[in-house]
Amino acid sequence: MNTPRKPDDDLDRLLADDGGELGALYRRLPRMEPPRRLDRNVLGEAARAIHGRPPRRQRWMVGLGSAAGIVLAAGVAWHVGQDALHQQSHEPARSAPTYVPVQPLDESARRKHDNAPAATDAMAPPPAAPAAAAPMEFQHRRSAPPVDKAKKEAAPAAQSAPPPMAAAAPPPPPAASTPSEPFSSADKSAAATSTDAKAKGNLAGSATREQESARSEEAANASLAAPKPARSTTGPAPTSSAELRRDMQLAPEDWLAHIQQLLRQGRRQQAIESLQLFRRAHPDWQLSDELRALSE
Amino acid sequence: MGDPKTDEELMLAYAGGDLLAFEMLYRRHRGMLYRFLLRNLRQRADADELFQETWSRLIAARERYRPEAKFTTWLLQIAHNLVIDRFRRQRPQASAEETETVLRNLDAPESEQPERSLSEFEQRRRLQLALEELPEEQRVAFLLRIEGGLGLDEIGEITGAGRETVKSRLRYALARIRARFAK
Repeated sequence: MNTPRKPDDDLDRLLADDGGELGALYRRLPRMEPPRRLDRNVLGEAARAIHGRPPRRQRWMVGLGSAAGIVLAAGVAWHVGQDALHQQSHEPARSAPTYVPVQPLDESARRKHDNAPAATDAMAPPPAAPAAAAPMEFQHRRSAPPVDKAKKEAAPAAQSAPPPMAAAAPPPPPAASTPSEPFSSADKSAAATSTDAKAKGNLAGSATREQESARSEEAANASLAAPKPARSTTGPAPTSSAELRRDMQLAPEDWLAHIQQLLRQGRRQQAIESLQLFRRAHPDWQLSDELRALSE
Repeated sequence: MGDPKTDEELMLAYAGGDLLAFEMLYRRHRGMLYRFLLRNLRQRADADELFQETWSRLIAARERYRPEAKFTTWLLQIAHNLVIDRFRRQRPQASAEETETVLRNLDAPESEQPERSLSEFEQRRRLQLALEELPEEQRVAFLLRIEGGLGLDEIGEITGAGRETVKSRLRYALARIRARFAK
């Protein structure tokens, strides 16, 4: 009666054909069956497999494909954004200066300018800088549409210039004498406009800069369109709109440094115009005494 | 009236395009597979999902089936792999100490085994609870044996364990079930 149970007895009984008493007890447990819906699904899938149709459960592959597509699109968008950033940050250093004088050209000169296909080449720096010539030419070719854009932008500005200035003899393109200047306004503004939409999405930190740039742009337009006091025809060369636009792209500190540089180069008139524009764009900026005196 | 076809013959017939063969095979094993999954997973939703997935995989692999493998072993192998994947994501596990206390009941005299006096209903309830409380590996081995009707070697083949390991798991499982009846 009190004989100890051997561990393997139970196992042997379990491994017997009927599973022993535990097997019998197990068979008396509720016999759960799969719901009919599962029967339908499985049998349907088996039939579809035989008839060569893809099983419905492979719909996950569609989802996976969609997800992969979204990831790819996001990756491309990000990459394009990065390229735009990269381009924006490198553009100034490698771009060729393209200068659009703010003074209206006389009619014949303007026609010539508009019709000449090599107009941009004519505005290229003189061959005095052979080292820079090749890359600049390359840049010209690459940045042809922006140059056109800059020309278009300059045209209304020139038209809105006051008549006294129109009477003035067109001075030599002032910026042509400064090939060492760091920025090409045409390229810069082209980069700003062409990459603006892309850069907006990617640069949270650039929002402030863009606002500032927009404000500067407005100020520049106002400045360029506003009637200015008549200047002596023999006065210093006025600043080109391209230069002013280029200045606007600078950070305030850099802009002021550039104005100082103009002063040092004896280009006082240009410095004044640039400084006036600066004050419109950054009315709250504290100027040094020298610059404040210059602007007043 | 010919002899009923074996599972293996039916599976080969289905792989050759005979849908009726599959339906017969399915009817034979649907209940066993479902209970194996449900008793392992305990949740109907999980059992439903893996039930369908098991058959899906079997259907997808129909052309690779070779009759050397017993059909039930193959079917339960697929189900077992899915169950193990699911376990890995959930993971409750019993401790070794618990196992040891359970094993002491093995030496209790037969007359003291309390299931003798339990009602039929209570016995079934306790068996169910005991199954639920078994560690995964023991429960799988026990269900492969008692629900799938597999032998030690087949269980070892499915679970990747040696014959002695399977025996050990079954012994532990039985001990725990006994312990449950002793409470």
